[in-house]
Amino acid sequence: MHRFLRLSFMLMGLLVASGSYAADTQKPTLTTEDDLGPQVTQPIEFPHYRHAGLKNPDDPTNSDPSKGGMEIDCQYCHTYARRSAVAGIPPLQKCIGCHQNIESVRNKPRIVELFKYWDAKKAIPWKKVHDLPDFVRFNHERHIKRFVEQQNRPTQEACGYCHGDVKSMTVARRSKSLAMGWCASCHEKNHPVTAEGGTPIGNQAYWYKFQKPVVASSDGVVKAQGPNDCWHCHK
Amino acid sequence: MIDSSSIKQLAGHPFDRRDFLKVLGWSGAAVALSGCGNTSIENGKETVVSYVEAADYVIPGVAVYYNSTCAQCDAGCNINGRVREGRVLKLEGNAASAINRGKMCGLGQAGVQHHYNPDRVREPLLRKGDKGETISWDKAYALIAEKLNGVSGEQVAFLSGAVSGHLKVLLGNYLESLGSKNLYVYEAVAPAVQRAANKKAYGTEMPRFNINKAKVVLSFGADFLGSWVSPVHFSQQYAQFRKGVDGQRGVLVQVESKMTLTGANADRWLVVRPGTEGILALGIINALGASGVTLSGDVAAAVQGYDKARVSNDTGVSVEHLDKLVALLKERTPSLVLAGSAAEGYAHGSQNAAAINLLNQVLGNVGKTIEASASVPFPQMIPAKGNTAALKTLNDDLAAGKYKVLFTYATNPVFTAPGSMKFKANLAKAGFKVAFAHYLDETALEADLVLPLDSALEDWGTQVPEYMAEGAQINIQQPLMEKLHANTQGMGDILLTLVKQREADKYKDFADYYGYLRGSLLTIKGALGSGGTDDDTFWDETLTSGIIKLAGSAEQLSGNASAAGLQLPAAAAADAQYSFHLIPSVTAYLRDGRHTNQPWLQESPDPLTTIVWDSWVEIHPKKAAELGIVEGDVLEVSSRTGSIRAQAYLFPGIHPDAISIPLGRGHEALGRYAKGYGVNPFQILDAVFDQETGELALHETRVKISKVGQRIIVVKDEGAAGGKPEQRRIALSKSTDQVKLSEEV
Ligand code: SF4
Repeated sequence: MHRFLRLSFMLMGLLVASGSYAADTQKPTLTTEDDLGPQVTQPIEFPHYRHAGLKNPDDPTNSDPSKGGMEIDCQYCHTYARRSAVAGIPPLQKCIGCHQNIESVRNKPRIVELFKYWDAKKAIPWKKVHDLPDFVRFNHERHIKRFVEQQNRPTQEACGYCHGDVKSMTVARRSKSLAMGWCASCHEKNHPVTAEGGTPIGNQAYWYKFQKPVVASSDGVVKAQGPNDCWHCHK
Repeated sequence: MIDSSSIKQLAGHPFDRRDFLKVLGWSGAAVALSGCGNTSIENGKETVVSYVEAADYVIPGVAVYYNSTCAQCDAGCNINGRVREGRVLKLEGNAASAINRGKMCGLGQAGVQHHYNPDRVREPLLRKGDKGETISWDKAYALIAEKLNGVSGEQVAFLSGAVSGHLKVLLGNYLESLGSKNLYVYEAVAPAVQRAANKKAYGTEMPRFNINKAKVVLSFGADFLGSWVSPVHFSQQYAQFRKGVDGQRGVLVQVESKMTLTGANADRWLVVRPGTEGILALGIINALGASGVTLSGDVAAAVQGYDKARVSNDTGVSVEHLDKLVALLKERTPSLVLAGSAAEGYAHGSQNAAAINLLNQVLGNVGKTIEASASVPFPQMIPAKGNTAALKTLNDDLAAGKYKVLFTYATNPVFTAPGSMKFKANLAKAGFKVAFAHYLDETALEADLVLPLDSALEDWGTQVPEYMAEGAQINIQQPLMEKLHANTQGMGDILLTLVKQREADKYKDFADYYGYLRGSLLTIKGALGSGGTDDDTFWDETLTSGIIKLAGSAEQLSGNASAAGLQLPAAAAADAQYSFHLIPSVTAYLRDGRHTNQPWLQESPDPLTTIVWDSWVEIHPKKAAELGIVEGDVLEVSSRTGSIRAQAYLFPGIHPDAISIPLGRGHEALGRYAKGYGVNPFQILDAVFDQETGELALHETRVKISKVGQRIIVVKDEGAAGGKPEQRRIALSKSTDQVKLSEEV
């Protein structure tokens, strides 16, 4: 079995290599579970660490940007995440809403740049950092509902499952592979799928380790907690 | 289908489990590849543009819905558009509408392709020789003012498609300010003969037809499921009709020379010799009289000569079928008789329609399945209905060089005028031609100045449907999204600007057409039944619902059942040289061809022949065999006016003495999806007119056909003829005279 696994990884590597040589050299290399995505240059180098990072107990006024953040909830800016499939980038208006009242940083180059966009009423052309193929539909709302609203976990932890430790980043960088096997690694561990009475699992789903529906033995109650059919994500 | 048990099965075979998994590994790797970012992932490349300022209700990924009105045909269905991230994605019917009750037709669905069409005109264009030169709107308006300077009202004409609502009011006001009475409202395929006949028979041009209340519907070529008057509404009535009144499933009998979509759905499809529909109607009346139905004196006199033998001989409908039909009509009341475009397209079209309407009177359907319709109490807003008689007058005037300035809007006569009119040549005699256009269609190409319009999904407006389903209603059209192109303008805004050139004072309160609409609707708020509500509430409610429903005053049907003046000519004699009747068929999706540039419509298989993206000549298989024609033979179809070439399609649903070519294709302009696909039968139509109304007799052209010696593969959806039974063509399995109508009674 081990030999086989090694073989198939080699084959994969081969395919990837030939694929990336054939295409533009700019293509990111194959990401594994721990691989970082490409470093993306953004029009404004947005400091996530400053906004979402932990407060520095030694610096109660929060005056030193290199030492601490403001612990702003992710959802304060990415407000669409709990209401829509996409998390969205906050409207420029939102940045300005706070920053017009923060005189202390008003002349910092990044903020000056920000206000340039605002004065011109132009949208900031952010580059995508977390993109999925067009045939995958990931739903933010469901995940926030489950982890944050039902299970009361901290937002940063819930978002972090997929987005990594954003609070320590400047511009965000992808830190998980976001490939299907990676999704499965979580769903198989923590979300046994129980689809009794629902759509039967497609065979494909087994192969990717989405588990067979099981009725909980204790009370026979069936809870569907994850995708139990291909079309849940591929629609 | 491989599940775990079949994997186990495989395991016992030479193709062992490990090999199987290896294969799996390979395909797994391929999947992983495309899933892992080497194909469609745009990390770091694609921009994700957020709003600068977002309205509270805007959530990316979550759609909002607005009500508006379908502008793809005049039926005026109320629609509901799905808008996400500021883009309109999909249209559906508005469930609160009495006309379409939440449904839409395919033509309406394609409305988004009108909006996103890549061939829309985006800038005002001024003719420079053969080319159009981009100019600014200010210059364009100044140019119009300059050209109108010193020109008398008589020398100005406006050619428009059907218009209603505030646009019609504004258009009227503009022409008035120019001192011009020359508004020509032209629609190439409008039920104009029928309106006149209805007015005579029922006292109203467009009564309400209750298909759902009838137990038998006898339709003389009215394609009410496809393209006739208000097809979505009638389709729903039809569904109720089929479920039945008092448990009796409705029976549909369709009489026509070429099968329509409605004909294909009929219990009994009767083919008649082209043009003899009126004779058949009178024959039925005569037979009804003979079977005991009382006929008034003049009716009895009018139908006297129409005994079964003669009628059967003239129309080609057998006496047996005639008897069954009469029995059916007598036994099941109320019934409903409809006169469609096929019956009206002759020089004696009005007489045909009158005979058919008389049948309704005799059967006692008036007041039961034909009722008065409600009307909007604002005569200025009632639709200016299009017809072809208007085109004839305009054409004659143009030929005489009467007009110095001509405006065209929402109609494409260079494409749809019968070739014999020589409209294009006459159009050139107009001094300065201004076209308000979405696309460079054939007519816009002839213009000196082309002004680009907002799409129907970007513009404001009100529309009053000609056919009122229940009470009267005014439809609201509102933008579903921001304009796609910065330099287009709404037709209302253009007219407002133009009328301001003449009477600035009168319109100074209205900054734009939106303001004009809002202002005028607010002034009649009381009459609209919302007198008590404050302005903003009224306006918000109006825009939210997209429909203003009015109590409306139902007119009384006042027609008479007399047969006075009814004079049908004998069945037309055969034409030795041009032996075929040409039936230019109106299809559900392409109609007069104004939307042919919407690829969904080109791509939708014709419901009867399943042909896509091309024209065809329908010919009866027997006739084809006689002439040695097989499917795909390129035929030259020549009339006295001209000739066109198209592929033959053998179709049993047509009279052997007729051939049919669908209208709508054969564009020489109108953009990449229309230009060069198929042929345009309008081009070879003779100029024959209905004697009473002066309407163009669409079905009067006689043609001859010949093979040009080329054969092509017909691109269609259906399987090969003679293949599996379920793939066989319509009506091949049982010829019409083998179906027992008596079993259906
Ligand atoms: S019948 Fe079809 S095209 Fe006409 S208004 Fe209704 S939905 Fe639109």
